[in-house]
Amino acid sequence: MTRKWMRWIPAVAAPAVIAAGVLSGSLPASAGDPLPEKTPQQVLLMVAQHGEKSLSGTLEQSSEIGLPDLPTSGSGAGSPETAWLELLTGPHTSRVYLDGPGKARVQVMDKMAERDAVTNGNDLWFYNSKDNTAAHVQLPADAAGRHAARPAAQTPAELADKLLAKLDPGTEVTVGPDTRVAGRAAYNLVLTPKSDISLLASVAIAVDGESGLPLGVQVKARGQSGPAFSVAFSSLKLEAPDASLFTFTPPPGATVKEIPLADHKADAVALPPDARAANAAKRPTVIGTGWESVLEFPAGAITLPNQTPPQTGAPDPATANPLQPGTADPRGARPGAAALLEQAAVAVPGGKLVSTSLVNVLILDDGRVLAGSVPLERLQSAATQR
Amino acid sequence: MLCALAAIPILIAVAVRLSSAVPAGRGPAFLDRITQNGLFVGVTALLVSVPLFLPLTVGVVAGDTVAGEAGLGTLRYLLVAPAGRVRLLLVKYAGAVAFAVTAPLVVALVGAAIGAALFPVGPVTLLSGDSIGAAEALLRLLLIAAYLAVSLMGLSAIGLFMSTLTDVPVGAMASTVVLSVVSQVLDALPQLDWLHPWLFSHYWLDFADLLRQPIAWDSFLTNLLLQGGYIAVFGALAYGRFITKDVLS
Repeated sequence: MTRKWMRWIPAVAAPAVIAAGVLSGSLPASAGDPLPEKTPQQVLLMVAQHGEKSLSGTLEQSSEIGLPDLPTSGSGAGSPETAWLELLTGPHTSRVYLDGPGKARVQVMDKMAERDAVTNGNDLWFYNSKDNTAAHVQLPADAAGRHAARPAAQTPAELADKLLAKLDPGTEVTVGPDTRVAGRAAYNLVLTPKSDISLLASVAIAVDGESGLPLGVQVKARGQSGPAFSVAFSSLKLEAPDASLFTFTPPPGATVKEIPLADHKADAVALPPDARAANAAKRPTVIGTGWESVLEFPAGAITLPNQTPPQTGAPDPATANPLQPGTADPRGARPGAAALLEQAAVAVPGGKLVSTSLVNVLILDDGRVLAGSVPLERLQSAATQR
Repeated sequence: MLCALAAIPILIAVAVRLSSAVPAGRGPAFLDRITQNGLFVGVTALLVSVPLFLPLTVGVVAGDTVAGEAGLGTLRYLLVAPAGRVRLLLVKYAGAVAFAVTAPLVVALVGAAIGAALFPVGPVTLLSGDSIGAAEALLRLLLIAAYLAVSLMGLSAIGLFMSTLTDVPVGAMASTVVLSVVSQVLDALPQLDWLHPWLFSHYWLDFADLLRQPIAWDSFLTNLLLQGGYIAVFGALAYGRFITKDVLS
């Protein structure tokens, strides 16, 4: 009888070994050398000074902000209105390649599909494999130069000081215990709002202990144990990626769209004064300060899915964004977006509320829209103040 | 069974050939690319057969391994030979794995062949928008077949274990196929997020990572590790069961 039981030992041992392996793998690897102590200022200085211009890595993004998951398949999927929201709400894995200031490539890895953004010098390409479409933007020639000139205006140390000074009144900046991101020891710079009513509990930025490169951001909401939003490298190599990755030619058979870059100067001259005034009236106003500030959009500034869009010169960002799948039929997708709003919004006195763990958006019956990282009562009082 | 699997790409290719152009973005992924490039017939056929046809055939083969012999009454004659039960089990599993390797390969190669016959073949557009030559594309197709072969090995081990439990081969086959369906259903439930990485079917459709530029090897390695775990667990279970079993037929 005992011999018979002996035969089952492998069957018991195999899961046990696997479980042991998994557990030992998930335990936090004890860091060999703890990073030298640094003040928040020094960590910020590291970020400002980091010289890493070439890298290739994988970014993992996840969010738990309390919005319903958007369908990633089926008829409602990939409508222009929901695509940018989808990037924010669902979990995503993307690969990032950087080489110098002018070359970058981001690949958002979807299921059986991929969305690419490639920039090389003055060319900016978007590609979506789902419907095999490509979009091309010719950047102005001075864009790269302007980019390069900006850091020279201030030394990194000044920049770090300035940023800290700006943050200081409403924010507590500390350096938390070291973390590990993508297998690298990292400083954990934690920004905690001093405000009592802000929905944000903390923002943690992981800063690579060696190079000063920001490795990840974690946003925590009040009353939620897990992070509400997090994006971090899951693997990272600090070396120049293959140069061929940055040369993009639209594949044969793809629909290529040229997107003209809006020229702001010409726009301002061409617009009649009353149109300019109308544009100004559509700008949001800020009520309150710091973490408690509330953005108020006047009526008509934001087109809701169940209203007809006003005819403005500027392209609606929701429909002009080429990164989203299926730009072909924006009108057909409207019911989907309206249904989504319907699903997410809750009726409250005076309007509708779209509530997430990080941001509350109050859509008033008179068309005004208030948004802020504050509780509903605060939004309502801000609405009645004016 | 291999003929039935080979019929899938042929069916797809002929259907696409006879029908009008498929609008982009409709139907299974890659279907709209077939008219431009015949090599996509192989990819599309694999994609279509992953959820059911491949697990079905592998389940039938793996479920038949031991229970089939028992059902025919030939198992005890096999055990009379001084080869030992362990060796018999290993040989039976090797047979199931051989089928798991052959099945996706047949679908891929028949797909590529029929695609080349009915449609033009040229540079292949990857998911990233880059194009590669036809030869490299064929290599990627073989890689996908290898990926799926690895993916099916865990299911083969489960089938082998099921097969040692019963003398009725149909029961072992059915339970294996049902398990693969259950695993895929569980994989589709967002409420069971924590369970997903442990389901043997979780990485089945991630073979698309091989169609990116550069190839994302992460899912290949994770899948290999996961399937290895399933082989270890269910192989050990099958060993325990088969060694202690009273073979009566």
